[in-house]
Amino acid sequence: MTISAPTPAAARSASGPPLLEARNISKYFGAVVALEGVSLTVHSGQVTCLLGDNGAGKSTLIKTLSGVHPPDDGTLAVDGEPVVFTSPRDALDAGIATVYQDLSVMPLMSISRNFFLGNEPTIGFGPFRRFDGAKAATIAREEMHNIGIDVRDTEQLVGTLSGGERQTLAIARAEYFGARVLILDEPTSALGVKESAIVLRHAIAARNKGLGVIFITHNVQHALPIGDTFTILTRGRSGGTFKRGDLNAEQLHGLMGGGSELEELQADLEMLARREARGEDIPAVPLGTDPDAVPIADDTGSS
Amino acid sequence: MATTTASAGPAPERLRTVSLTQRLLARPAAGALVIVVFVFIVFAVLSEARGSSAFLSIAGILNYVGVASQVGIIATAVALLMIAGEFDLSVGSLVGFSGIVIGIVSTVWGLPIWLAIIASMILTTGLGVLNGLIVVRTGLPSFIVTLATMFIIGGLSSVLVLTLTNITFIRIDPDLIAADPLAQLFSWKFSFVFDGATSDLYVSVIWWILIAAVGAYILGRRKFGNWITGVGGSPTAARNLGVPVARVKVTLFAATAFSASILAACQSMQFSSADIQRGGGWELQAITMAVIGGCLLSGGYGSVVGTAFGALALGMANIGIVYASINADWYKIAIGLLLLTAVVLNNWIRRRFAGLR
Amino acid sequence: MDKRKFAGLMAGAILVLAACSSTPSAGTGAKGPDGALVKRADIKIEVVTHGQAIDGFWGVVRNGVKAAASDMGVTVNYNAPAQESDMPGMSALIDAAVAKHPTGLVVSIPNPDALSPAITKAVAAGIPVVSMNSGSDVFKKLGILAHVGQTEFQAGQGAGERFLAAGVKNAVCFNQEVGNQALTLRCNGFFTGLGLTDPSKGKVLTGKISDPAGMQATISAAIQTDPTIDGILTLGPSVAKPALAAVQASGKTIHLATFDLSADVLTAIKDGKMDFAIDQQQFLQGYLPIVILTNYAETRNLPTGDGTGLIMTGPGFVTKDNAADVIALSAKGLR
Repeated sequence: MTISAPTPAAARSASGPPLLEARNISKYFGAVVALEGVSLTVHSGQVTCLLGDNGAGKSTLIKTLSGVHPPDDGTLAVDGEPVVFTSPRDALDAGIATVYQDLSVMPLMSISRNFFLGNEPTIGFGPFRRFDGAKAATIAREEMHNIGIDVRDTEQLVGTLSGGERQTLAIARAEYFGARVLILDEPTSALGVKESAIVLRHAIAARNKGLGVIFITHNVQHALPIGDTFTILTRGRSGGTFKRGDLNAEQLHGLMGGGSELEELQADLEMLARREARGEDIPAVPLGTDPDAVPIADDTGSS
Repeated sequence: MATTTASAGPAPERLRTVSLTQRLLARPAAGALVIVVFVFIVFAVLSEARGSSAFLSIAGILNYVGVASQVGIIATAVALLMIAGEFDLSVGSLVGFSGIVIGIVSTVWGLPIWLAIIASMILTTGLGVLNGLIVVRTGLPSFIVTLATMFIIGGLSSVLVLTLTNITFIRIDPDLIAADPLAQLFSWKFSFVFDGATSDLYVSVIWWILIAAVGAYILGRRKFGNWITGVGGSPTAARNLGVPVARVKVTLFAATAFSASILAACQSMQFSSADIQRGGGWELQAITMAVIGGCLLSGGYGSVVGTAFGALALGMANIGIVYASINADWYKIAIGLLLLTAVVLNNWIRRRFAGLR
Repeated sequence: MDKRKFAGLMAGAILVLAACSSTPSAGTGAKGPDGALVKRADIKIEVVTHGQAIDGFWGVVRNGVKAAASDMGVTVNYNAPAQESDMPGMSALIDAAVAKHPTGLVVSIPNPDALSPAITKAVAAGIPVVSMNSGSDVFKKLGILAHVGQTEFQAGQGAGERFLAAGVKNAVCFNQEVGNQALTLRCNGFFTGLGLTDPSKGKVLTGKISDPAGMQATISAAIQTDPTIDGILTLGPSVAKPALAAVQASGKTIHLATFDLSADVLTAIKDGKMDFAIDQQQFLQGYLPIVILTNYAETRNLPTGDGTGLIMTGPGFVTKDNAADVIALSAKGLR
């Protein structure tokens, strides 16, 4: 199973305005700074990876982009024009579709009903306008076939599909309803390797169709092969935007985790290993530069 | 586009053709139908054994169908609300409140009965909308919110009645009922006469079936029905897909309240009286019917037709006990056992036929 | 346990329970007179009242029903709605009883408006009906053969007259089920016996029988608010107990009387803490209708009571003089 070779970034960089742009977005929850001055762009036919450790603010940024809550500062722009989203419906109408990590699809509903939730086709007029189940079933079957899942019974519950298939269904749904920007929020975090690969393929397929894809993850291994640009988010602030080829995996990791923390963690682990080798007790208190932590004697025997 | 290998490997087992029986059994209402048939057989057999064929007669059928229709009228909306992931524990109090409004406006204030009925429907539905707004605005669990409003509305009925009339039970003049055009919609009955014995088909049965038919139609055939199920599956995911979650929930709370007012109208016209204690405990009976009917407590799955079957089963058990000459004390035990059996059965059917792990 | 086995077990449990539980209290050995219209063993009587047998008062009624069924040698079924005030439920139970074509039907009538359609249907179907406990003022026009009970107004009046003779100046009546017309009549009779020209002006306290603590609090509050209250009448033993507690807590001398008996009430009367209790002898309200219907079925004999079919079982007054005897019987559920 191979991923198709990525089209050179230069060939795909858009000449026009970015499909979606976040300019200096800030979001506060009371005294907590969830985001501050974060910018992000995605062009047609490109994959923008948003990398950050847990709690970095990725979800908050995504919710801002998809209209769940408005930013406290900064603006959003679609095709270069500033926009304001008052609800997820607005974002959907502007062509921005989001596939969330958990529950983008309802396990207890059928495939066709899931596919058309919020965009149900109808038949009939006036007060007799009914949900067109037959049409929904036909289209759902077709679209599922197009993405490589053959379903004979579109009435079967989505709960019978695997995690990867569910994500794929959500992506296919977004594309079908005219998404121009596809935001994938940690789509592979709950999946195994094989299923992750399937989802990544579909992300690339979407990109090749001309969609802009924002791929959020904390897993650098998944992001590196498919990303055209990489934006790092650390503690609500942007750690920089890099193009493909600028940095390697280790460097990205370093920027994500906060290099100094990673080094300290390494040092602590080495010290623990040495203590264990000498047969000493391993302290129960967490090591580190946490000011509230209890000070531990270091290797030299002094506090 | 790169082809995936998803169509090979695990997919073939999902390509089996699904038989009609299997599709029928996969429906949420299947378990409820089994329960109804089971209850029917049990009580038919027991009644015959005790020397009474009345359970199988028209009189018997009308009897338990009439009993089923009482709580059945509110059970449809309660089921829809449960599928959307919410509870309305105040619906019982709303029935009592609604009846009291009818009694006060007509008997105490002397206004025409049709006005009393309309006023009670407006006020009661308004309280339902209030329930819904509190739930969506505060984000509190509806279980808690409607538990509180259950007490508040029940107390409101008491206060109203004791301030304005001094009795908790208001008599409504049967002659006025017979003369009022709107009252006929709720007091009508068709009498079957066999050997001098009269059995009545009450209009509450027709209301029950009508409401259930409308509810099933909406759930299965309308956009709104798809929204209801989606909201129950995950409100956040549904909202992100553009479903107006708040609107769906408030509408459903209004629906439960409106059905409560219909039930109150039927009862007060049929029994020429209003009583603040009417409807007490019926919120739990309605939930029981919905659960027997295949609705999940966690929401996102269920059936209105199944709920109607659940109502029928409880009505049969309630009255079947009399026909079978069984101690009425066993009724509660029977209900509890029936509920447990129904849930286990529904779970099994769901796993076996709907393919859910 | 495997799910299917569990479901099968549950289903089996329901069937077994249903089959095992038998209500019909058929007596043994008693035979009717030769030449009777029906045989005793074929007589099936349905009883539908508004009182669950777990209630102290109605438990005695049910014991009376059981005793009569046994003595007469007939089959009797006892039914009541889960909630005392559930008139739609009770109406449906009456319909069900009628559909079984019983030899006779016994009903209580706490709410004539709600129940008259069902009762009328029973009478129209040719079933002999005897009423008991409540409905003494409506039974005749509904076509009911006889009423066994106590006339509420007169009983209340008797209580009022006794209080008046004892020197009570300011009495209240506690109604624990507002809406039950029988209870309203009791209070009205009470105030009439006390000398009020307009009984509806009498002071009535209200409460819920399911909330004794609440009732006690209501009475305590009333005593504190109006220190001139020197007499309280309660309409049932479940109310008399909290009333006793409230009066004792207040430390005042207040005349206290109640309708109906219980062990606590009898002890209080014996100890002088209560003046008297009005005994409607509800055991007979359960016993006599069965006897009447059996006789009517066999020979069409029907007692006419006071001439109109009203057969009084009360008011009997239990005072300090006779309380001791009654205590033992009450403990056995016979008084």
